[in-house]
Amino acid sequence: MNRSTRASRIGLPVAVIALLAFTLFPVYWMVSTGLDPRANSRGADLLPSGLTFEHFSYAFKEGNFDQYLWNSLLVGLGTILVSGLLALLAAVAVARFKFRFRTSMLVMVLIVQMVPMEALVIPLFLQMRDYGLLNSLLGLTIVYIGVSLPFGIWTLRGFVATVPKEVEEAAYVDGCGWGQMFWRVLLPLVAPGLVATSVFAFITAWNEFVFAYTFMKDGEKYTAAVGIFQFAGQNTTAWGPIMAASTLVTLPVLIFFIIIQRRLASGLAAGAVKG
Amino acid sequence: MEETLTAPAAPAPSKEPARSGRTESEKALRKKRRVAITRPWTLLAPSLVVLAGLLLWPLIQVGKLSLQSYEVKFGGGVGTWTGFDNYRALLSQDEFWKYVVANTVFFAVACVVLTIVLGTLVALLLNRLGTVWRLICGSAIMAAWAMPAVTGTQVWVWIFAPEDGIAPKLAGSLGLIDPATTNWFTERLPFYAIATLNVVHHGFPFVAITVLAGLVTIPKELYEAGMIDGANAWQRFWKITVPAIRPVFMVVGILSTIWDFKVFTQIFMMPGADSQEEMLNIGTYSYLKAFAADDYGTGAASAVILTLILLIITLVYIRTLFKQGEEDL
Repeated sequence: MNRSTRASRIGLPVAVIALLAFTLFPVYWMVSTGLDPRANSRGADLLPSGLTFEHFSYAFKEGNFDQYLWNSLLVGLGTILVSGLLALLAAVAVARFKFRFRTSMLVMVLIVQMVPMEALVIPLFLQMRDYGLLNSLLGLTIVYIGVSLPFGIWTLRGFVATVPKEVEEAAYVDGCGWGQMFWRVLLPLVAPGLVATSVFAFITAWNEFVFAYTFMKDGEKYTAAVGIFQFAGQNTTAWGPIMAASTLVTLPVLIFFIIIQRRLASGLAAGAVKG
Repeated sequence: MEETLTAPAAPAPSKEPARSGRTESEKALRKKRRVAITRPWTLLAPSLVVLAGLLLWPLIQVGKLSLQSYEVKFGGGVGTWTGFDNYRALLSQDEFWKYVVANTVFFAVACVVLTIVLGTLVALLLNRLGTVWRLICGSAIMAAWAMPAVTGTQVWVWIFAPEDGIAPKLAGSLGLIDPATTNWFTERLPFYAIATLNVVHHGFPFVAITVLAGLVTIPKELYEAGMIDGANAWQRFWKITVPAIRPVFMVVGILSTIWDFKVFTQIFMMPGADSQEEMLNIGTYSYLKAFAADDYGTGAASAVILTLILLIITLVYIRTLFKQGEEDL
């Protein structure tokens, strides 16, 4: 007993420090390199040699990064508008109605969620080329809607199921039709779930690389995720701007994850959340 | 669900004669039944169209493409049916087994094992911390999880960058390597070790948080009983914790396997991934065959092989979910 408490008195803080160092070091190294005026030659210096925003302004001016961030934003918003609505309707169907093939539908949603992007990118590239939708933000948005939809249906289904049926029944007793019930009662109640699902769909689109890299061959149309890679390709040694651009892409996602961390902890085992 | 649908029943109009009242309500009942059948499908229809067009149809196409020799022509491509030639050529290729398959499998196994071990250790740690420290560590874990694959990979590449990166600098100052001549991205083992570090760093938060959610459901009495029986921490973990949350480990293990088999971005973005044959995994191989070598047939064939492997693992996953009865499918 005594031995284990002493071990835990020393062991716990050591483990916590190791964990914090391991998890936070990449983030710290990214941000501090982005701010370091002599980024490339910092070597093993833990502290940056100074603080400057020159790499950030280089990313914007020379790297065209404002355009890329704007493209990512447009594609992400387009994705969540359409896939949020479609996922909500489908989630209501599978959570609130019993019908034939309902289970098969759900199993299918689970299966298509696992399909690797590498298998889809070849046929979708050829398809989009035939429709003339390569190099277009619209084509990319359409693909992301499909990619984010299965997860959206799966998650929203859980949120819809938690709304008590009595609330719906009360609406019917008050003389609402199904449509009115949907807009006035169900929608406000699942709104938090819809927001969470939409943010995840947005992050999926924001982080996605394979399709954006394959479809967008015109420098004007890059999303931010591809913009960084192009950067790295052109000038392999300019780590300052690359880390500055990476910081710009990472920060919005990071902030969101930390805000929702408590909600994430509950009921995650069933869903499949990963970047 | 039934109640929901019968609730909006229109009350039979009382002023009407009894007979016509009954037919009226029969009509209403029939309409209601029709709505009950058609409404879910109306709600599902838009999603089904999108999923069919953007996921199912491309999968059929990639299957078709894998049985063809596809030539890129101006303004479109022409496919010639060649049966299973692409698969035969692929599977009889020495490089495919020696590099692509070996890299994919060993990398996936290493990532899954390390992700689960680290994730579980972190969950056990979090479970012992007080509220404040748990919140701090939880936020730090979220930061690792939130890091997009694209930017995370850039950071790891920068950390291990030949000459300038912090890792070769430190190793050089310890006298382990000569930083001027060492490039870890040109050798298979260090290349994949860096990729593993990247994937584990990004993947263990999911395991840690899911296992933690399982740990808090285990009754404290079990551990007290174990301690009275003289079981040490190691025995308590294997005899009490693991059996109690075995389903959680199943789900986490299968999902990690699925994700780590199809790692693409983290490998593809590393320097030399596209120019060194021995660094290929099945995802980058398929992609580079199709888009760099214009050999869509072979690219599609290896993509189909990857999809089939993932499909089998997914079916095991779904069976597990059904068995656990957690998912009220």
